[in-house]
Amino acid sequence: MSSPPPTSPQPPTLDDEISALQSKINSLKSTLALQTSTLLTAPSTLTLLSSDPKLTSQSALHASHLQQTLYRTCATLTLFRVQDPDPNAVDAGSVLGLRIEVVSRAKFLRPYYVLLNRPWTSFPSLSPAQKKWLQVHRHTVPACIPLGGLAARYLPAPDKKGNNTKRRKQDLAKFARGLRREVVRYHARLGTVADLRKAAGLGRGGGGNESGLVDISPADAEVKHVSVEWEDGRTGRLVMGDDGEIVKLVVVGENGRDREAGRELLGGLGNAGMVRAEEVVKRLAGMNGGG
Amino acid sequence: MSRISVPTTARLPSSLRVNPSSSTVTKILGRLSRASLISVALDWLDEDNLSLATPYLRPDQEDEDDEDDGDFYPPASSAEELREEYLSLQTRKGSKREILDRIITGDWRHGVSLYQLAIADLQYLYDHPTSQKWSAYKIVPLKSPAEDENGEVEPLEVDRTSLCIPRFHPSLFLKSLQAQILPDIKAHYNLDRHKTLPLLILRIFVIDSPYNTPLSLTSTGNLDTGSKTILIAFPDGSPNIFISKPTSTGPTGASESKSIRALLVEGIPKALSLPRQRVTLQSTSLTTRNLEELLDRKGGTRGNAAGGGWSIYADEKVKESPLSTVLPTPPLSDAMEEEEEQGNGEKKRRARPTTEERIAKRAKLVAQARFGDTGKVDDGKGVERVDLVMEDVWKPTGANADDTDMMDVDEDEGETGGPNVRLTFHGSHVFAGIRQLVECGVIDGEEMPGWMTGEEGVTIGAVRNGRIRGHKGSGL
Repeated sequence: MSSPPPTSPQPPTLDDEISALQSKINSLKSTLALQTSTLLTAPSTLTLLSSDPKLTSQSALHASHLQQTLYRTCATLTLFRVQDPDPNAVDAGSVLGLRIEVVSRAKFLRPYYVLLNRPWTSFPSLSPAQKKWLQVHRHTVPACIPLGGLAARYLPAPDKKGNNTKRRKQDLAKFARGLRREVVRYHARLGTVADLRKAAGLGRGGGGNESGLVDISPADAEVKHVSVEWEDGRTGRLVMGDDGEIVKLVVVGENGRDREAGRELLGGLGNAGMVRAEEVVKRLAGMNGGG
Repeated sequence: MSRISVPTTARLPSSLRVNPSSSTVTKILGRLSRASLISVALDWLDEDNLSLATPYLRPDQEDEDDEDDGDFYPPASSAEELREEYLSLQTRKGSKREILDRIITGDWRHGVSLYQLAIADLQYLYDHPTSQKWSAYKIVPLKSPAEDENGEVEPLEVDRTSLCIPRFHPSLFLKSLQAQILPDIKAHYNLDRHKTLPLLILRIFVIDSPYNTPLSLTSTGNLDTGSKTILIAFPDGSPNIFISKPTSTGPTGASESKSIRALLVEGIPKALSLPRQRVTLQSTSLTTRNLEELLDRKGGTRGNAAGGGWSIYADEKVKESPLSTVLPTPPLSDAMEEEEEQGNGEKKRRARPTTEERIAKRAKLVAQARFGDTGKVDDGKGVERVDLVMEDVWKPTGANADDTDMMDVDEDEGETGGPNVRLTFHGSHVFAGIRQLVECGVIDGEEMPGWMTGEEGVTIGAVRNGRIRGHKGSGL
């Protein structure tokens, strides 16, 4: 140790000091990066920079990144290019990336990626247009989203024999839109279940609640089915539709089906099929807040 | 106990007791360690499980004096007392044999229920996570059956364009699976959640007997000759299932064990099917002993179809918010920057890196690019065996000599002129081994074909044109 410790230097305090300084360095570094990019992309600095070629190139880099983030924020579906590292990759390794942004709980999540390649470029029997058809190469979409079905619908493989009996077409835009819709719906459903739990006073440390509910949890991979459990042993199944409406609700008690409990959960908002899940959330939250 | 055994199609009840001296019981319990045996016994004595695992207790009317003579393990008077006893055994030192004897000849001398056996078997799985060999299957929807002109039902096809994700309801599944099991064998089912992994484990215990009475388990010895155990794991949030290789107790042949697996692979999709929504199982060519690897490749995460170097896209820890205006650093530049910084910090007089150093550094970076965050020795997600058939046309260049130390190369003269080449990789973590070879510079990371990174997520495959065939669109 080269630095002379002044008074009663206990090892833990020194370690604490080092880690505090480290974190300070990190936060200063990130502030510096933020200030740099803000300064470099500000219109007033751009006029001053015009003389220095190094700074202008830096500024151009930052400006293009700013534009990219703007598109990512607003369009939420963006494309980019990737090089496949595999030396034997089809189409000399060119890969088209599709980036899907998802917002959940007022935050951007890590985007989902779909990477597409062109495996049919070297098939002589195909028409020039068909040689450029795309195929899903890699993706990070979770297994509970029907990516395969969407790809089979909108990105079918060309008929290798060359006889176009069925007029098939690829439509990347429809594929991307369809996939994005599924992803967003999935996250919306996940969020709704979390909201339901919160409204019913469940979750972390949540104890008493007026509704008598003890558990609300997703019952399948797609989070379309939600299982509901009451204190007194009644169990229910709630089926959520694509637009967040409650399609079906069944509550089973000790003596068979309990229609009363189902109506109570929906709170006189109407029959299943017309009520939206958010309304149930609001009602449960109101009930617990009032009690 | 009823005196007459009537053949039935019902399942074996969980409370059915097995004679503790049978070899099945000793085998299942005997392979557990002392600590596990005690924890299993405490699990049996838990309030919730007590009804299915009742220990042998002293009848109330008997005196203590009568009981003690000659009985090495005097029965306890209540389950609580027994629980205390096992808790005290936990702190004491002793042999495993002592606990085993106590269970078999003492506290559960009147029989160990099938439920207890299931718990003990699962404990073994937790103790030895790699004891089972699992195969992953994908649940895919089928097209609804259509009739052709002659009124005959066409064979069912896989519906590729379906947007529905098969769902799984445990109790409904068990009910329909029971209907698929033949009446001349009996099965006991036990569903349990895995302690640490997001899995639901179904244990199926099959015996060759048409009866479901205690007699069928004790007298004829069916249990010891023809019982089999199969584990099926359902990962959360993913339409895949993992089926283990059946283990049998008796001297059953490999063919029998195979046929029971085939029966299950046939029966499970039928049990998973719902009215107007049929499904089938598709093999995913992924077989391994490592459940974590299976969950990584077939679970409900992002990494399913983005292995190897592509895993950088699946890493959820990376923050990539579009609201951040800070210029992102490319993935591989971070490491470089850090190293440079360290170099500066140490002392500026450090000489320029030698050629070897630069080559070694380059090899590390290439490995990072090709494997991403996968294939690390200590990530616990390794496959232990990969079989590949090379279908490429043989071009005898002789430039690249294979490293025969780590692969078995079987060469036979094929009919097409070129030799048939099959590669088998063995090891505790095959792709981590390849990554290490890349990092040491033994394998040229840039020229290495993609199947050597394990990004396809298969353990059995055929390589043509340098790519694993039939997996061009992985995950589809």
